[in-house]
Amino acid sequence: MAVALPGVTLPSVVEELLSEMAAAVQENAQIPDEHLLSLKFIFGSSAIQALDLVDRQSITLISSPSGRRVYQVLGSSGRTYLCLASCHYCSCPAFAFSVLRKNDSLLCKHLLAVYLSQVTRTCRQLKVSDKQLTDILFTKKKQEA
Amino acid sequence: MLRMAEALRRALNLGSSAESEEYTTEAGPPLLLLGGPGSGKTSLLFTAALEAAGEGRGPILFLTQRPLQSLPRGRGAVLDPLRLQKIRFQYPPSTHELLQLLCSAHEARGPAPSLLLLDGLEEYLVGDWGPQEVAYLAALLLDTAAHFSHQIGPGHGCGLIVALQIQEEGDSGDALQLSLLQRYFPAQCWLQVDAQGPGQHCLRACLDPGGQGPRAEWWVAFQPDGEMTVTPWPAQTGNPSSDKGSSSEGQP
Repeated sequence: MAVALPGVTLPSVVEELLSEMAAAVQENAQIPDEHLLSLKFIFGSSAIQALDLVDRQSITLISSPSGRRVYQVLGSSGRTYLCLASCHYCSCPAFAFSVLRKNDSLLCKHLLAVYLSQVTRTCRQLKVSDKQLTDILFTKKKQEA
Repeated sequence: MLRMAEALRRALNLGSSAESEEYTTEAGPPLLLLGGPGSGKTSLLFTAALEAAGEGRGPILFLTQRPLQSLPRGRGAVLDPLRLQKIRFQYPPSTHELLQLLCSAHEARGPAPSLLLLDGLEEYLVGDWGPQEVAYLAALLLDTAAHFSHQIGPGHGCGLIVALQIQEEGDSGDALQLSLLQRYFPAQCWLQVDAQGPGQHCLRACLDPGGQGPRAEWWVAFQPDGEMTVTPWPAQTGNPSSDKGSSSEGQP
């Protein structure tokens, strides 16, 4: 893809890094140091925090029989945040401020953790009913409003 | 070509006889249709729905707060009942109900829509909306279309076109809201009133497919009897750089 669409896709440099990481993890079961350095270079301190979330297995992929999916990330503060699987959205305050309002970050640490957990395949999986998934998507809205 | 833009492009291309472009079924990025009051957004959206209904794919889900007052005229051949039957109108009366509809879209039974349309997004963004709420509504629209695409299966996607009424320039109140929406809708089509075009009420439509193809422009004209005609913008084949500054596109 020639152009990064900020709400929908990652810049190609990040896409490449993630797919290289995925290949390396499949081969050696760990992320090479140079990839960690690249990650730190692109995302700064968020990279460390996101890796920490992955280490703690804080990311849960929630899916229903319909096939719709959503991620829930347990933040370091003990709060859980909702991350959509199809586009860049996280319900945390940092996403609202740094990504949406100031536009000076690409992702928050929770969304980055979702991407990294896909690479390392360390997502927890939770199956819920279609109705329960509706409630998860909709309740999140009500809490914020 | 992108399917998302394709439905609209086909709607806009009615005036030209050249239909040489091969038609693909890939759903491109979501499209935001922007224009002032009375700029023909609803007519174009409905025409896009009719075009998509003629493709022989899934139904079209058309979300709007109130029923259409009139149907675009001058398209007699295409306004056939079989196509109309494929368009499912739903009228969420409030933002709350729209969000509920999107959050529960995966509970619906029956074939997944091949195109999701929302008219009058601005009516759902009234009140005290923070950036996160606006972003969540936009993201949910994308997520719902993505879920429909997943249901349809690989190779075919569900397109998404959302119409938003924008204020005339000078009103900066919606700047943040608009830039948030543009983050999620990289492809945009701007409609501007153009007094120099053919017909009584003429608009200039400028389609920017989000960096994934060339920009294209049309004239959309409405006759006094409501008939809609679409003709390619003449400058397109001439000097493409001459019209750069005249569009209201870009970050405010």
